[in-house]
Amino acid sequence: MSEQQPYEPKIVAFLCKWCSSAGSDLAGVSRIQYPANATPITVPCSGSMSPMYILSAFNKGADGVLVSGCHIGDCHYMEGNFLARRKLHLVKELLQFIGVEENRFRMSWVSAAEGAKYAQVVKDFVEDLRPLGSQEKLKAQRT
Amino acid sequence: MTKKRTGVFVCHCGTNIAATVDVSRLAKEMAGEETVAFSRDYVYMCSDPGQNSVIEAIKENNLDSVVVTCCSPNLHEKTFRDNAARAGISGFTCEIANIREQCSWVHKNRDEATAKAIKISRSAVRRVARNQSLEPIAVPVTRRVMVIGGGIAGIQASLDIANAGLEVVLVEKLATIGGHMLQLSETFPTLDCSQCILSPKMVEVSRHPKITLMTYSEVQEVSGAVGNFRVKILQKPTYVDPEACKLCDECTVVCPVVVPNEHDLGLTSRRAIHIPFAQAIPASYTLDEDSCLGLNPIRCGKCKDVCEAGAINYDMLPKTVVEDVGAIVVATGFDLYPQEKILEYGAGNVEDVLDGLQFERLCSASGATKGHVLRPSDQKEPKDVVFIQCVGSRDPAQHCAYCSKICCMYTAKHARLYKHHVPDGRAYVFYIDIRSGGKGYEEFVQRAMEEDETVYLRGRVSKLYRKDGKVRVLGTDTLTGENVEIDADMVVLALAMQPSKGTEEAAKVLKIGRDKDGFLAEAHPKLKPVESVTGGIYLAGCAQGPKDIPETVSQASAAAAKVIGLLSSDTLNHAPTVARVRRSHCTGCEMCVTACPYKAIRLENGKAVVNEVLCEGCGSCSATCLRAAIEVKNVTQLQVFDMIEACLTV
Amino acid sequence: MINIQDIRDTARDLLAKGEVRAVIGWRAGSRGMPAEPVVITAPEQADELVWDPTCYHNLALHLVEDRKFLAHARKTAGAPIGIIAKGCDARAIVVLMQENYFKREDVYIIGVSCEGSGMIAEWKVARQLDGAVPTAAAFAGDEFAFATAAGEKRLPAREVMADRCLECRNPFPKEHNVALGEDKTGRALEAPFAALARFETRSEGERWEFWQRQFDRCIRCFACRSVCPMCYCEECVVDSINIAVAPETTAEEKANRIRWIERSAVKSENITYHMTRAIHLAGRCVDCGECERVCPVNIPLRLLNNKMEREARERFGYEPGASIGGPSLVASFRDDDPGAFIR
Repeated sequence: MSEQQPYEPKIVAFLCKWCSSAGSDLAGVSRIQYPANATPITVPCSGSMSPMYILSAFNKGADGVLVSGCHIGDCHYMEGNFLARRKLHLVKELLQFIGVEENRFRMSWVSAAEGAKYAQVVKDFVEDLRPLGSQEKLKAQRT
Repeated sequence: MTKKRTGVFVCHCGTNIAATVDVSRLAKEMAGEETVAFSRDYVYMCSDPGQNSVIEAIKENNLDSVVVTCCSPNLHEKTFRDNAARAGISGFTCEIANIREQCSWVHKNRDEATAKAIKISRSAVRRVARNQSLEPIAVPVTRRVMVIGGGIAGIQASLDIANAGLEVVLVEKLATIGGHMLQLSETFPTLDCSQCILSPKMVEVSRHPKITLMTYSEVQEVSGAVGNFRVKILQKPTYVDPEACKLCDECTVVCPVVVPNEHDLGLTSRRAIHIPFAQAIPASYTLDEDSCLGLNPIRCGKCKDVCEAGAINYDMLPKTVVEDVGAIVVATGFDLYPQEKILEYGAGNVEDVLDGLQFERLCSASGATKGHVLRPSDQKEPKDVVFIQCVGSRDPAQHCAYCSKICCMYTAKHARLYKHHVPDGRAYVFYIDIRSGGKGYEEFVQRAMEEDETVYLRGRVSKLYRKDGKVRVLGTDTLTGENVEIDADMVVLALAMQPSKGTEEAAKVLKIGRDKDGFLAEAHPKLKPVESVTGGIYLAGCAQGPKDIPETVSQASAAAAKVIGLLSSDTLNHAPTVARVRRSHCTGCEMCVTACPYKAIRLENGKAVVNEVLCEGCGSCSATCLRAAIEVKNVTQLQVFDMIEACLTV
Repeated sequence: MINIQDIRDTARDLLAKGEVRAVIGWRAGSRGMPAEPVVITAPEQADELVWDPTCYHNLALHLVEDRKFLAHARKTAGAPIGIIAKGCDARAIVVLMQENYFKREDVYIIGVSCEGSGMIAEWKVARQLDGAVPTAAAFAGDEFAFATAAGEKRLPAREVMADRCLECRNPFPKEHNVALGEDKTGRALEAPFAALARFETRSEGERWEFWQRQFDRCIRCFACRSVCPMCYCEECVVDSINIAVAPETTAEEKANRIRWIERSAVKSENITYHMTRAIHLAGRCVDCGECERVCPVNIPLRLLNNKMEREARERFGYEPGASIGGPSLVASFRDDDPGAFIR
């Protein structure tokens, strides 16, 4: 029998418009290859990330959720990523508390100059998610 | 709300997208979306025929919204929004799905890339389905400009802007303007005196009725946005009243504190109270607080006693000044890469090993040796001088990966200057390559070799150390394949340029991005080389990357032109994608008011109210509100919710 | 110990002088025990008021109800409303004021200290009384005195107190107009967050198994939400059926309702509901424990809220209900907030 295909996790990647989305653009311009598992949603700022977006993505069947913004001190809107850091810390803690695997939620700071870092963040996330398989804990089991 | 009629336009981008993404399948999939009334693919959507086809499709199919699936919105969002507006619909009902940078360029597998492109595009279609037709908000602008940094870039930008009739506030960290250019002896490729060409410009700045000069000052805080920035500046006390000071120099004679003179890079010394150099602008003395014995008549007070003009005041306090400006030019310059980091060349501890700027001061008539090239250790005329290029540059393993661009030229200049000062001396240059692109540059280097008989050795210096009162330089000449050993009287290192400390600080305060090397990032490497990523903030000079004087002056004038263009009318268009309150849900809890970085929200009769001119649409309010009672137009929570679903639909 | 007569005198006096238009307090329950919330509007009703170990309801909820009633009836408040408040009630009032739900001058807080004890957990009492049904409860130093058919029974307070009261650090209502009883701020009979710390020793898999079992039982009766003074939103983000329709509500708003989760009690979505609540209560929950007390299927909701409370306290130095003027937890930040989890 052939080896089993590795699980292909579905990732929603929320990227801030100014740094991380621009960083992912740079990965493109530099033709850095990375897995196609993460579908980007560009948001104005990591500070605009409502915790509901993350819960909702899991609820709709995401295997992993990535939030990426500007490095601390570099936020285009000055303070947005500070607010995001605090809010999403709470979300991360709550997810882990409930018993959702730690690796399902990830946050990174990727600047517009860090194309290679963005590619690496996605690669690492996909690798970490593969062994976890499909995310069923928070997924709505609607018929 | 009536259902949208969206047109989807799938761009092949030649083969950039089409080679990896099945564009016809993508167009077909999008046609199946509930709100999509028209969908097609085309080879170059951004071309003239491409754009015209979008306009035709909008008119023929009565479309009210557009999704273009193509490259990054940073490139063509404006193109397609303007195009949509030409077709008579709001540009804000046009969204870009980035399937090139974020998809076709980073994936190879056609099926996977196509599937991802479908998700990205569907997500944009669902978003557009709830986009509002918006029109830009006209905002009154402040027709004043701040220039940060008083080197040649800042001086040029200030003069150009002021000459166009706009008020300029020029902020400089040091006690005088002039920057590094003032430290130079002569400039390539003409060998004209640096001070002679710069000083008149400095005087012009000080006399210009439209320029307010703030030296010894630092920008502390910037708020607001393009058209209306509010800048807080800290003016450090100089303890000398420039109006009263008669420049008699009596104070420096009595001052007991001797410290290295920064202007001469430590080759000379100065007193705690000093004038940076004779032609300083503003022409006044500064009492350097850090080295002064204590600003206290009980402890010293000699300078105050001797000052007949009564210009010295120990009680002077730092002052915070607030300036409102519409645009900012950042010209904060470079520093030399620290010699301490070059371990292979003695980490700055080998005597008579100088950096390029120190050599400039040795050559300069106003410098330590009054224009005689004398080596620092024994004040003798050096007969063998080795110049080493690319020190710290082009060395990704240990130092900077980039080329510092000006070192080939200034090393040639140094060699020539040296030979002009010491005609019987011998000059050696170690180089990797010679980069002398520029008008008259190659000829300049050739003259260094031929007329001035500089010995150019292609190769690197592996080591240098002190031996028998000389500096022994070990290197290789890769053209002959032989090892070279020179006992030099003096060595000059062409150290890399790096962003100055002030550049780093300015980036933090202004929240503008930096590139991987720490230089300020331009909005686009080719098409927007003087704009920062943030609207209304422009870049000039070496803060943006290594460059020589002509290039710096060009960029400064370019930045000035951009500023003049921006402030040419009384109003600016402000993006209408600002926060809006759903009043029936708002309880007036004030969390959004606290979270807003722009102080754009206030409570009125117990409900949040947004000042649309101040709002930048960051969405911090929306993420903080527990009731989704405040949202950014065209990025509402419902829209994100729909986009999430689109991303997860297979 | 607080003399009930002091509470009654204070309330009577305030009503008689017209300084308040009503006083929210407790009176004896229809079955004797437990006490029940009451809103009295006349001085002579003051004698109905009681103060005993069954006054566990968070009366701040009735302040919320009062404001909602006034808003719906389009009336203005006039004189302030009085409220008898324990430590936790007062903290809830502070959070509500922090969120501008009402102004400080609109509320007259008659603070009552729980002193050395607190409120009972009925299941603990039942376990200790061997089936005897108590009809009244009273504070008695370190003990509670219960009236039963077989005469008075005394039980050590610590044995029958609610968990939240055992872990309570602030049994004294710091924010008050008048306060009765001794200030025992700082006392905790059990280590704060003790239950939480115990729970967190479990593995990820065990935690998930635990919560899955809990949330599977949820019948989405929303009692937790209804009893919570912080859940004062007209429309809940997780249950946007009852859109708040005000004169200013636009058609577009009505059309654009966000359904974060479906209303139908799909088990897998119960957890999203409870997580949303926990997130929305972060920095706001004052650990009155009412959600857990009223849950008909015994979901340990305090554990969830405690987790958020402890994170706020330990990571962000934030204490819910500590200050009316301070910024809210999630609307503010400190430069040194933890960020090591971010790559």
